[in-house]
Amino acid sequence: MVKITDMRKKAPYMWEIEKGFRSDMNVPARIFATREMLDDVLKDRSIEQLVNVATLRGIQSAAIVMPDVHEGYGFPIGGVAATLWPSGVISPGGIGYDINCGVRLVKSNLELSDVKSRIKLLGAALYTCIPSGVGKGGDILLSESKLDEVLKHGARKMVQKGYGVEADIEHTESHGCLENADPAMVSHHAKKRGEDQLGTMGAGNHFVEVGVVEEIYDHECAKAFGLFENQITVLIHTGSRGLGHQVATDYIKIMMGKMRDYGIVVPDRELACAPFDSPEGQNYFAAMAAAANFAWANRQAIMHSVRLAWRDIFGGQLEDLELLYDVAHNIAKIETHIIEGQPKKVIVHRKGATRAFGPGNPEVPLDYRDVGQPVIIPGSMGTASFVLAGANRSMELSFGSSCHGAGRQMSRSEAKRRVDATSIINELEHRGIHVQAGSLKGVAEEAPEAYKDVEEVVNVVHQVGIAKKVARLRPLMVIKG
Amino acid sequence: MQTTLMGIIITEAKKSDCFSKENVMRKYSYLEHICDIRLKVEADSIEELFEGALDGMNSIIMGGPVENTAEDIRKRICVESVDFTCLLIDFLSEVLLLTHSNYNIFCSMDIESLSATRIEAVLHGFPVEGFDVDIKAVTYHEAEVLKNEEGNYESVIVFDI
Repeated sequence: MVKITDMRKKAPYMWEIEKGFRSDMNVPARIFATREMLDDVLKDRSIEQLVNVATLRGIQSAAIVMPDVHEGYGFPIGGVAATLWPSGVISPGGIGYDINCGVRLVKSNLELSDVKSRIKLLGAALYTCIPSGVGKGGDILLSESKLDEVLKHGARKMVQKGYGVEADIEHTESHGCLENADPAMVSHHAKKRGEDQLGTMGAGNHFVEVGVVEEIYDHECAKAFGLFENQITVLIHTGSRGLGHQVATDYIKIMMGKMRDYGIVVPDRELACAPFDSPEGQNYFAAMAAAANFAWANRQAIMHSVRLAWRDIFGGQLEDLELLYDVAHNIAKIETHIIEGQPKKVIVHRKGATRAFGPGNPEVPLDYRDVGQPVIIPGSMGTASFVLAGANRSMELSFGSSCHGAGRQMSRSEAKRRVDATSIINELEHRGIHVQAGSLKGVAEEAPEAYKDVEEVVNVVHQVGIAKKVARLRPLMVIKG
Repeated sequence: MQTTLMGIIITEAKKSDCFSKENVMRKYSYLEHICDIRLKVEADSIEELFEGALDGMNSIIMGGPVENTAEDIRKRICVESVDFTCLLIDFLSEVLLLTHSNYNIFCSMDIESLSATRIEAVLHGFPVEGFDVDIKAVTYHEAEVLKNEEGNYESVIVFDI
């Protein structure tokens, strides 16, 4: 059991559990949080899970969690772990089952006054045209060969097929396509689960949210991102659906059976892993990339549906809705970071963590390069979301990573016990936030009080210098499965 | 019925109506988890543990114990794993795949053979229109099939939702 006295304050908002805390740790465990947050963090098993991550073979510098940390399975949510390329391990649990779950922020040229009278019409249209709910399929049915093209080329394939414009690709992390994707490494079962799920939102915490820019904190960054006060935005949060879930399931089982051969012992079976340069590691990385591409294609297809609905209601051109940026928050990437003064290639696992590259990084789109990569942090249902800009301290402290959301503080069952969904919907309506949801239970589970204060979370990464606050978005309409 | 163990609220779930054999025990209950579902399964035999875990998973997917209905779908499955614990998780993962792929709920099964590393069974199920909860995956996290002080088999299973 980890106690508060096991943590040492290394810098403002940065705490560490020393490597010697447990004999199997290879690196310290690092937590970004306020002192008050630590008390809450210790109420669940997230820090024990972080200590487990610190035991992974080849892990570098520290096992890290962001201020939105909460208990997961194997890895904690909000976690970042970098293992040495090529012999360090890759762990599917460090990416999660919803591979490339992420967010995409779309900006319009309309202001609140332009849309206010038709916002419910828009909500109804979005609810109708974006399939949502548990396991729900959509209108895009793919043969296995067509699906393979999506798995290989990601969002770019969707743009080629008319589901977007070239600028969308420029404003998507990794251009919406991981080049090492190999559809042949994705099982037939996984493909079967994905064949009708392109363009679908799913359920749980996934959503489409219409919002308004309520406050600008950094005018230079906001100008570069094309954001202005009172501007209407659309935020899309979903991932790789059943296809990604099955890829993770398939490979965790494969790695479970092979760990003994590689002499790997993990403190939690869900940390199952294999050396990156082993056949299992390489096959998983190629399959994960394919699932990540599917997720980018999925968000591209949903954005296209949003554009169609928007044009029907507000007129204009499809391109009037522009993609600000799309970021993954469940993914593994090969990146180069300075470790002990030397550049080293590492496998960065981000599970509930967002890439946050700073100004000048060649991975940042040209039009944002002077200010840093957009980092999009959705709040809980009914609370603000934030746009941040990645800052170069992230390269020193967190392998170029930031938080990904508010982070849960209440279990779903407790939320259902405590919260009446109809009351929540009415209360939000009173505050000018319309909720269009397929399930009252889902609304209760995702109630604002089930989550931490997103502003406190964002303030920590801002103060640490991992990413800086650019704008706050107030929700107007939330569409959930 | 709710009890508390080390600050964790435990909700006893009644046995599913799918289950009709006499003189055997299996049960499942929900433990708290901040974002996912933590299920505890207990049974007086390994076979019943597998059936109890299936009951529990179905109750999550459908939002409550699955009622016995006319079963018209049969599916033979064979799963192999490294040990009993992994076999339990891999078995549930296999059933979850069939559930999601075909919109079927498999509420009972005939186990034809079961060892520490292999299960062969015929699942009995029926088609459904939709699901209540989206289980993304059955995880190995905290899973450990063991015999408790009462002589029963038990394991915790965390479902990613």
